[in-house]
Amino acid sequence: MANNNSIRFNGSSVLSGDRISAMIFLIVCLSYGYQSSLIPFFPGDEYEPFTARTLPTILTVVGIILSLLLLVSTSSDKEKTDITQFHWRLLGSFLLLMALYGVGLTYLGFVLATGFFLMIGFYLLGERNKKILFGASFPFVILFYLMLTQGLDIYLEPGIIFTIW
Amino acid sequence: MLDGILQGLSTAILPMNIFMVFVGCFVGTFIGMLPGLGPISAIALMIPITYGLEPSSGLILMAGVYYGAVFGGSTSSILINAPGCSSTVVTAFDGYPMAQKGQAGKALALAAYSSFTGGTLSAIMLLVAAPALAKVSLSFQSPDYFALMLVGLSAVAAFAGKGQVIKAWMMTILGLMLSTVGIDKGVGVERFTFGLTDLMDGFSFLLLAMATFALGETLMGILKPEKDNHPKEQEKMVDIGSMKVTKEEFKDVAPVAIRSSILGFFVGVLPGAGATIAAFLAYGLERNLAPKEKQKEFGKGSLRGLVAPESANNAASSGSFVPLLTLGIPGSGTTAIMLGALIAYGIQPGPRLFVEHPEIFWSVIISMYIGNIVLIILNLPLIPYISKLLAVPRTVLLPMILFFSITGVYLVSFNTMDVFIMLIIAMAAIALRLANFPLAPLLLGFILGGMMEENLRRTLMISDGELSFLWERPITLAFTIIAVIVVMGPVILSLMTSLFYRLKKRES
Repeated sequence: MANNNSIRFNGSSVLSGDRISAMIFLIVCLSYGYQSSLIPFFPGDEYEPFTARTLPTILTVVGIILSLLLLVSTSSDKEKTDITQFHWRLLGSFLLLMALYGVGLTYLGFVLATGFFLMIGFYLLGERNKKILFGASFPFVILFYLMLTQGLDIYLEPGIIFTIW
Repeated sequence: MLDGILQGLSTAILPMNIFMVFVGCFVGTFIGMLPGLGPISAIALMIPITYGLEPSSGLILMAGVYYGAVFGGSTSSILINAPGCSSTVVTAFDGYPMAQKGQAGKALALAAYSSFTGGTLSAIMLLVAAPALAKVSLSFQSPDYFALMLVGLSAVAAFAGKGQVIKAWMMTILGLMLSTVGIDKGVGVERFTFGLTDLMDGFSFLLLAMATFALGETLMGILKPEKDNHPKEQEKMVDIGSMKVTKEEFKDVAPVAIRSSILGFFVGVLPGAGATIAAFLAYGLERNLAPKEKQKEFGKGSLRGLVAPESANNAASSGSFVPLLTLGIPGSGTTAIMLGALIAYGIQPGPRLFVEHPEIFWSVIISMYIGNIVLIILNLPLIPYISKLLAVPRTVLLPMILFFSITGVYLVSFNTMDVFIMLIIAMAAIALRLANFPLAPLLLGFILGGMMEENLRRTLMISDGELSFLWERPITLAFTIIAVIVVMGPVILSLMTSLFYRLKKRES
């Protein structure tokens, strides 16, 4: 137990949130720097004072300096947010729902995908009233759809499932 | 100039544009009232709508939303002690105690009157300052613009909170990095596209703004859920009591409103400072200037403590339009979004805007004033009814905002790939928010990135790669010195503070 505590203590003092962020940013900058070295040159570009690589190179250098500055200037976390209290599962469900919505827009079309997105979204947040679940999703989407297509004359592609037959 | 003003006036009073001011103020007030959603999100949600409008109408709508959101933020600060945005945090210091004393109506009325004073005075100052600055900036050349952008970007970080300066710079650099994705406009080579055709045009500004703010803030609301407004708080919002302000009270707070408006305007003009700092500064100034008996009232429902930040934050909102309209440099996240929208319209803000599109330049300034009038004659009496909209449960509200954010981007590009890119950016934005990284500098860096590279390219081509351009012209030199001071300022200040404490320790 004592051993466990000491590991925790060392871990928190060396790897504070800011230090982890600084290291991630450093990795991002190094990858960005590597990618910028792959930007193609046109013949004669090496003699030009400014090329497509100039700004990315400057940004890489400044980014590395800043991440190192954050790395050395940060002490251990002063204010810790208890992230275990957050609703991670709910957030994950919503991110998945949004990704499915993106897929649904192509396959199911705007009305069905949006209707389901809203209804499942209400449900995930704890809404169990059927009037709200059904009333605020599909009728609202249909009205919105009519406003877009009839009122604003915007063409919305039908879903793939409606075009395969 | 008079021609321009008349042209602007005739554009601003077009029924369509008046309607836009009304809609903007109304929608902005509603969104601003929602805790967690600030003016940046409110404007981001409006961008897809503005794409279908004339540039002047679009900008007027966004300006209305900006005003409305700041006003809405004050309302929730006063009534339920839940500031809708950071610039109205100070309003809650004295506004909420007033509401607890049963003077919510008076507090709201005073907030509206002081916002009106701030808006009016700053509109007058804008009327004088903007054209003068625009004329001066007509002589600017590429090196001056580059140096000016350096000032803008460094100032944003300098005004970030304590311990946030490095993080704000990191975010600015990340924003600049994101702006380099896509085909390079100078030579036409692909950069950081990884062969994906969707990335050839670079990231869409609308997508980035929506993902980092509207979507990010809503998803944070899901991650850290707050309860729906308590029925008692709902009741408080509907029953706000008398809105009457006595003559003596008016006389007492009038000088405060004037002083704070002037202060707010000038703070707003500074790039990066914005309405939040203006509100804090005005509150601090008035607390120091107040007589001793009045000083004790601060924090317990002081009228001066309410009027000062309200006048200042409104005046600063107008002030932040000066660098946007005259130099094309946004001073805050909100004006950065507006700059992005203007560029999307094919309009380049800056000194030429004043010459080439006087109707846009002046109509925005005039509509700001109309917006202030709308807020005072329409929104104030309607507050009890607008706040009823807040009774819509969060279970319905949050998915709706997510829907509007996603659809807003989808309906512009009709590309489902954008939805996935938005999702990835929103996830990154949540991680950054949790790690206390400010996101407005990211947006600012992204929007200024293209212009900055263009000006640097031109400058280095002309100077044949010599960095002497930074000090050859007096204007460039002045901007370079300011940028260096702004960058080094916080570092020197912290070094001096630690030295001072060390000396003090030794003495004791």
